[in-house]
Amino acid sequence: MVQLTPNHPYVTLRVKFKKVGSLQYISHLDLVRTMHKIIVRAKLPVWYTAGYNPKPKMIFAAPLSIGTESVCEFMDIRLIDDISPELAKARLNENMTDEMQVLDAYYTEGKLTELRWLEYDFIICTDNASDSLADECERALLSDSVTVEKKTKPGEPTVTTNIAPMIKSARATYRDGLIHINAVLSADPSSFLNPEYIIRALRDSVGILKNPRLTEESYSIMRCGAYREDMTDFR
Amino acid sequence: MSEIKNLSSVLKSVSKPGRYIGGEYNRIIKSKDEVKCRFAFCFPDTYEIGMSNLGVRILYDVLNSDKDVWCERVYAPWEDMKKKMEEYDISLTAVESGDPLTEFDMLGFSLQYELCYTTALQMLRLAGIPIWARDRSEDTPIIIGGGPCVYNSEPIAEFFDLINVGEGEEVLLEICHLYNSMKENGSYTREAFLRAASHIEGVYIPSLYEVSYNEDGTIREYKPLYEDVPAKIKKRVIADLDKAPYPTKLVMPYVETVHDRIVLEVYRGCIRGCRFCQAGMVYRPIREKSPETLCNTAKCLFENTGYDEISLISLSISDYSELRELTDKLLSWTDEAHVSLSLPSLRIDSFSEELMNKISSVRTGGLTFAPEAGTQRLRDVINKNVTEDDLMHAVDIAFRGGKSSVKLYFMNGLPTETMEDIEGIADLAKKVVGAYFKLPKGERPRGISVTVSVSCFVPKPFTPFQWEAQDSLESLVEKQKHLRGCITDRKIKYNYHEAKVSRIEAVLARGDRRLAPAIALAVEEGFMFDAWDEYFDYDKWIDVLDRAGVDPDFYTTRGFGLDEVLPWDIIDCGVTKQFLLRERSKAYEAKTTPSCAEHCSGCGANKLGGKNRWCN
Ligand code: SF4
Repeated sequence: MVQLTPNHPYVTLRVKFKKVGSLQYISHLDLVRTMHKIIVRAKLPVWYTAGYNPKPKMIFAAPLSIGTESVCEFMDIRLIDDISPELAKARLNENMTDEMQVLDAYYTEGKLTELRWLEYDFIICTDNASDSLADECERALLSDSVTVEKKTKPGEPTVTTNIAPMIKSARATYRDGLIHINAVLSADPSSFLNPEYIIRALRDSVGILKNPRLTEESYSIMRCGAYREDMTDFR
Repeated sequence: MSEIKNLSSVLKSVSKPGRYIGGEYNRIIKSKDEVKCRFAFCFPDTYEIGMSNLGVRILYDVLNSDKDVWCERVYAPWEDMKKKMEEYDISLTAVESGDPLTEFDMLGFSLQYELCYTTALQMLRLAGIPIWARDRSEDTPIIIGGGPCVYNSEPIAEFFDLINVGEGEEVLLEICHLYNSMKENGSYTREAFLRAASHIEGVYIPSLYEVSYNEDGTIREYKPLYEDVPAKIKKRVIADLDKAPYPTKLVMPYVETVHDRIVLEVYRGCIRGCRFCQAGMVYRPIREKSPETLCNTAKCLFENTGYDEISLISLSISDYSELRELTDKLLSWTDEAHVSLSLPSLRIDSFSEELMNKISSVRTGGLTFAPEAGTQRLRDVINKNVTEDDLMHAVDIAFRGGKSSVKLYFMNGLPTETMEDIEGIADLAKKVVGAYFKLPKGERPRGISVTVSVSCFVPKPFTPFQWEAQDSLESLVEKQKHLRGCITDRKIKYNYHEAKVSRIEAVLARGDRRLAPAIALAVEEGFMFDAWDEYFDYDKWIDVLDRAGVDPDFYTTRGFGLDEVLPWDIIDCGVTKQFLLRERSKAYEAKTTPSCAEHCSGCGANKLGGKNRWCN
């Protein structure tokens, strides 16, 4: 447990939370604004940034993009009083809705940047789903070249990128008419892979989700695990 | 594979999907089997705008305070979502339950600006509800309209079953109670209910009146169909605002909304009486809340929302008689809680060093003043009791205090306006720039910018200018051009509102029931979001008006005769016609009228309740 001293006026509480269901449609920016208000409502003894417009200090690991759910989001908040993590968790949860809840809270001195790999579950509802399509998906993702069209900056032309080095592992199965994929993707800030690219790569290579009837074809992405460089659990 | 017909299946392919998900913290969920009346508050604009509306926030809270009523919210889907809904046959649903609107007992539309009419009716269409009241059946929800637009609801009267004139806090509950009791004792039919509702003060049932017209096209008379139906509808007023319900919790949006903060309504009404301003007349008399009540509410709201900003709102905040007490009281805890206070634009004559030092939004935000007219003569005509000296004094304080950008609001097309008044706008802006350069170099901030923003005057019902003709399109455009020519200083930016928008606004604001077919046609043609520049199409509006046989000039450039029956004469908004006429003749003599706080002018608003200490 860290001691609060004048040189070290705060302790860092790490909060692991979920953001599921319809909250997948909330952008990271909106999440930050929402979390700010949750922390204030929860009356946590937060440390405010200095300056003209003080804000509680919150740092998020690997922001989620719109359309991805998660059961392993991490956020560090600085507190000026080391209240019990259980109490903090309970107060935060009272001020959140069902689709966003704190799963774990603990004090830490670790850095969020130790997070290197993220695990995702994809469920794909596609017209042509079958055992062999699942095999094709797996093979496509594990090959040496998995290409996608990427835009580096808005307005600029797209470039073709090979995302194979950013895919640590991938497994695909066919169950109940759906394709299930589990994959571990890079979360390294310099080579972060947005899981949407997996869908895009498979659309281009093996032809999933080609039926234009949008209400019938769909997919979901769930972030479900976080790891350090050596694939030990990040926490 | 079966088709999934709900919103969530299309959310991945529309812009800003977060506005459709609901599920917000503090939203109210009840069991639909345990309530007697399901009410849906419909806001005919986007979620981001609707969530910010104070009226909806208040009434959501009021209706849900009744255990027999469950009030939910509905917003208009943006164009991309509307297309998907039509393509996949998805019905418009309420945010809380996700149930289609046809399952509700009542839908209440908040009509804040005339250009939202088409959006409101599109929402009905998306819900599969007939837009004409006469086409609805026994079990269609009762469609209610309210908000500032209904002081002349005639153009849309036939689309609504019931109109709530005036403040809704009490009357909406009375309507629900009547509905519940008639359902319970078995006397309910749509017709019987509406007839009984017409006896509630502040309720207007358009279908219970017959309108006849003279040969020249003016209105002959409004005739109630039955003896028990009131000949005139009195607006509803909350007598004691300090005791009126005010939410202590707010539904917390996940996405950013327009006024994403705590909003404190400090008082209702206005003591001023600017002659062009409808709000200043129809919300009379002024009713203030006490600093204690306001401060307690603010604290509760802070604890229940976590917002870091409190905005004090009212028509003219500096006229609040206890502004200093209130701000002191609030500042005693807000700083420590890291909450900032903000005020809307201030009256020119109230801008002070003290306010600038105290209130962060005044300290850091841009400066906005509204002289409204360019010369003292015209400012006297419109009864905007501010002088050039007031303005110079205010900008001097502002520049010394480090502010460098000033926005000035004006209006074109005001009654008696000449080119001299237009030139006066440019002169005034120049003088503001001059005031900046008068300051010694060391004492002024760097880089001044003055923005002149000019809108077009729309003669609104229940103002002393209600009879005035609106300037023609040609004249307005010529004035805008002339002003552009007069502004030569590069430090002055100039922007203006489209005169074409104001013309359609005037038609909708001043129209009568004969406009309804044109509006219905517009809805059929897919008009929506007319209040958004990118969707407003003047030529299309002229086309539908023309096809429906409506001459826009009749409601705009013609002007209304002083003895003519006006479309809104069916409403009694408190302020009397005699008072409006008195004010009108004073306008033509360029004579001003003192504020209520200085002298009661006997406007008549006090007779409907809410009398304040100044009212005779
Ligand atoms: S009655 Fe007199 S004081 Fe009251 S609102 Fe009217 S003019 Fe103002």
